[in-house]
Parts: sequence; structure tokens; C-alpha cells
Amino acid sequence: MTYNELELELTEEQIALKRETHKFAKEVMRPASIELDQLADPEDVIKSPAYWNVMKKGYELGYHSIFIPDTWGGMGLDPLDVHIVLEELGWGAGGMAIGLCVGCFPAFFSSMVPTDKLIDDVILPFCECDDASFIGCWGITEPEHGTDTLSPGTEMFSNPDICCDVKARLDGDEWVISGQKSAWVSNGTVATHCLCFLTIEPSMGMAGGGICVIPTNLPGVRKGKPLDKMGQRDLNQGELYFDNVRIPKDYMMVDQEAYDGILDLTLATANASMGAIFTGVARSAFDLALDYSKKRIQGGKPIFQHQMIKHKLFSMFMKVEAARALSRAAFVYNLNNSPPLTEYSIASKVFCTQTALEVANDAVQIFGGVGLSKEYPIEKIFRDARASLIEDGANDTLMITAAHQF
Amino acid sequence: MPIFESTEKMYEVLGGLFTGLMNDEEVLEKALKANITILFNISEPSGQIWLDPKSQGVICGKADLKPDVTMDLSGDTCHNFWLKNISLPVAIAKRKVKTKGPLPKVLKLLPLLKPAHEAYPEIAKANNLPL
Repeated sequence: MTYNELELELTEEQIALKRETHKFAKEVMRPASIELDQLADPEDVIKSPAYWNVMKKGYELGYHSIFIPDTWGGMGLDPLDVHIVLEELGWGAGGMAIGLCVGCFPAFFSSMVPTDKLIDDVILPFCECDDASFIGCWGITEPEHGTDTLSPGTEMFSNPDICCDVKARLDGDEWVISGQKSAWVSNGTVATHCLCFLTIEPSMGMAGGGICVIPTNLPGVRKGKPLDKMGQRDLNQGELYFDNVRIPKDYMMVDQEAYDGILDLTLATANASMGAIFTGVARSAFDLALDYSKKRIQGGKPIFQHQMIKHKLFSMFMKVEAARALSRAAFVYNLNNSPPLTEYSIASKVFCTQTALEVANDAVQIFGGVGLSKEYPIEKIFRDARASLIEDGANDTLMITAAHQF
Repeated sequence: MPIFESTEKMYEVLGGLFTGLMNDEEVLEKALKANITILFNISEPSGQIWLDPKSQGVICGKADLKPDVTMDLSGDTCHNFWLKNISLPVAIAKRKVKTKGPLPKVLKLLPLLKPAHEAYPEIAKANNLPL
């Protein structure tokens, strides 16, 4: 079931964008993500033609550049357009949607500080890429610092006893970088470029940070093994190690002067995107459950005709609609206003990921026994949804960070 | 004490900067292609500067136009931004600039503004403004 559009002023272009993205999600992403989910070894996922087929077709269609202005060859979509795309990609496969989205981070940040070197080395090659040979990752989380890295504005963020393992020091015209990012770096082992959040000034704690681009083919960069995990098995994640890696001075885009403010902007964009993607994941679970309920016969009639199932489906439907309403409003507002109201992006992320889990859980229940089996993709969607309550900031701690805005 | 002593002085300096840019055929062509109307809503001293490549070009003061992108900032931040003493993301992060308008359009402005960054130090120097 495609949803009824409550936005009265959607343009023909936006309707076409939704239709085309849904086609890609349904025909390319969904079948590939199911195939990849069943591979036991995550190393096989990134060797699989199915994985690269999705990435390459995603790049061919320009989904990797939706956040980047058309000046550089990006799609430069308006905020509502981006939300529409992200929801559809999430409907296809939550993990792969995150992979495509995070892939743009180095180029997206570079487009905020477009020096000639970043334009030539990062922005233009990324936008021109149509074969997924230029992939970014977001290197922020570390083995000893998960929540620590995502709490700008809180007291602990300026505690000098807490800073990143990955540190940078200036040596002439180069930054020298050492340390380790954890196994939760999305696109970590396939990325050609890392947008790395690190510490420059440890005496300022996490607030003494910097943000830079690190090409992963530089001497001193080492990648770990792809992470073997419960859900989103189609999303590559893995460690990155830096051992005296040297990058040009221009590649450090943000230093400690504005780190916490830029981190706040990052969180607002990333969390708003997660809200949109997991609205799509929730909707995919609802769609599958509704479809199944009209085919499965119990008591001599489709289970859809039983009141309890109808009641449950309507509850799921309301949650999906509420998730879209909140995530669209937060996304459109925060990508139209800087500085953003980050608490709304966090509300969107927390609400929509929780919704995805609840709707997927109800869907498994409607499927009954086969919902637990690999015969249908609903158990995969349930596992994908579960992961989202922890990635991009654990929901519990994000809520505390957001409450600091009050 | 604000860097621009009066609104008139600010209009003279910044209005002159933008008018010079719009007279450059290459810049005008890029600006027309970008098709963005920008409003700089400035405080201390108070004023408005519009860039509307489609019609009037540069307008200092109120205008009956609808901006695609609005930037709220002080005259001092304006001066430091054109001198490249502060980048747009840092200014946003430090709450010195508030922008309204789709993010890709805001980011699209940055390459268009490059010639203004190049021209401004000379203009500031000629007007005895601090560098």
C-alpha cells in the first residue's frame, strides 16, 4: 500500500521523485538486502555483486548526492524532497539507506567549506562518481567513546578527562592523525574517504575537537574486519585505525573554535535523516503485515477480517503516519534553518526508530510462526529496526542531550 | 563601536561590493544560473541588502521581494565574513549568523560569493575599515 499524501502542495516533480525512488527501493534495494542479510560472513556482503549493484545504481541515479548543491553536480534537493527520498530508501532497506546517506558525509561537509583543494579532491570527484568508487564514512564513534562523542552542550562534553582516542596535531602544513575508530563506523571498511571527528585540544575535553577528511588509501590507515551483527547486515560497519596519518592542512575543516556547534549541526542533520529512514522502515513492516493479513486464512477467513488484527493494523498505521508527520516537520525545519533546533531532530530519531521497532514487532505477531522464519523478510526488518535504537546515538542518551536545550 | 559607523556607510561599502560583482559578466551569469534571491538582514547598524540577479541586482534597504535565502547577522560579522576571518559554518555554529532557506541553496551561495571575498580587502582598506 502506498501511503496517501497529506501534503497538499506536493509538485509533479516531487510526486515523480517519490515514485522513482520507490521503484528503486522495491526492485533493487529490497531483494538485494534480503540476499545480503542471509550471508553468514559480513566479509561476503561487501564481496557480493548484489551489494555493489545497489550502490552503483544508487550512484547512477544520484541518491548519493541528494544533500550536495547542484553547483558541484549534486542533486541539491530541497529538504522536503530529501525527506521523501530517505523515507522511500528506508522502505527498501534501512541499512542500505544509511550506507548511501553516510557515503556523502566527506563531500557534504566539504561543500560547507569549499576551498579549492576540497573542491578538486573531494566535492567534484564525489559528485561525478557514478560507480560507487568514491564512498564516504562517518568516523566518530570509538571503542571507549560512544555517547561521549554525541553530547554537545552537556557538562561532560568539556571534561578534560574525556576526549577522543583519535587525535590530531599540526606539523607544518600537515595534520598528523593517530588513534582508533570503533567497529560501528558505517561504511567503515568500504570507504575511500573518512569524515573524521577527533580531538585537537585534549584540555578542552570532547569540545576540543576537529573535523577533517582522511582518504583511506593514505599510508598509516588500516581497516578492520566488517562487523558481524544482529540487524542491518547489509550496512557495512567496521574499525578504522590511524597511525601517524598525514593530511594536508586544508583537509581539517573545523577546529576546536567551533567544534561543538558544528557537531550540533551534524547531529541535527543525521538524526533528522534517521527519522525519515525509519519512518520508511516502519511503513515497510506495516505494508508487509497488511498484505499478509489479507492472504492468511484462519477461522475460515483472511485474518484481516478478524477484529483484533484490524485493530492492530490500524494502530500500526497511526504510528507510521505520526512518524512521518514529526520526521518531515523536523527535517524540513532544520534543513531550512541554521542553527537548527536539534531537539526536534532528536525527537524525530527517537520517535521514528521506536515506532519502527514497535510496528515491526506487531507485524511479526501478525505473521505468527512464519514471522519468525527466514521465509518472509519481516524478521529481518524487525532486527534492522532494533539496531536503530542504538546507532546514531543511543535513544536514551540522545533524549538527555536534547533535554539540555530546554 | 560597530565597524560600520552608520547604515549609510555600510550600504556604501557593501552595496558597492555587490554592485561591482553584478557588473562582472561572469559573476552575473553564474548568479542568474543559480537563480537565488538573497536577503542580508543586518543589525548594528540596522539595514537590509538584497541580491536579486533576476531583476534589480543590488538593493540597499527594504524591498518588496521574496528571498530564497535570508541571512541574519551583524555588520561586524558581515565585515569579518567578507574578509574570510570567519567561515559560514563557524559563524552559524557560534550563532553569529542565522540562515533561513533550503540548505543546498545556502551552500550554493558559497562559491558564488568567492569573488566578493577576493575583492573585499581592497574595498575595506580604501574605506579605512580594520583588516
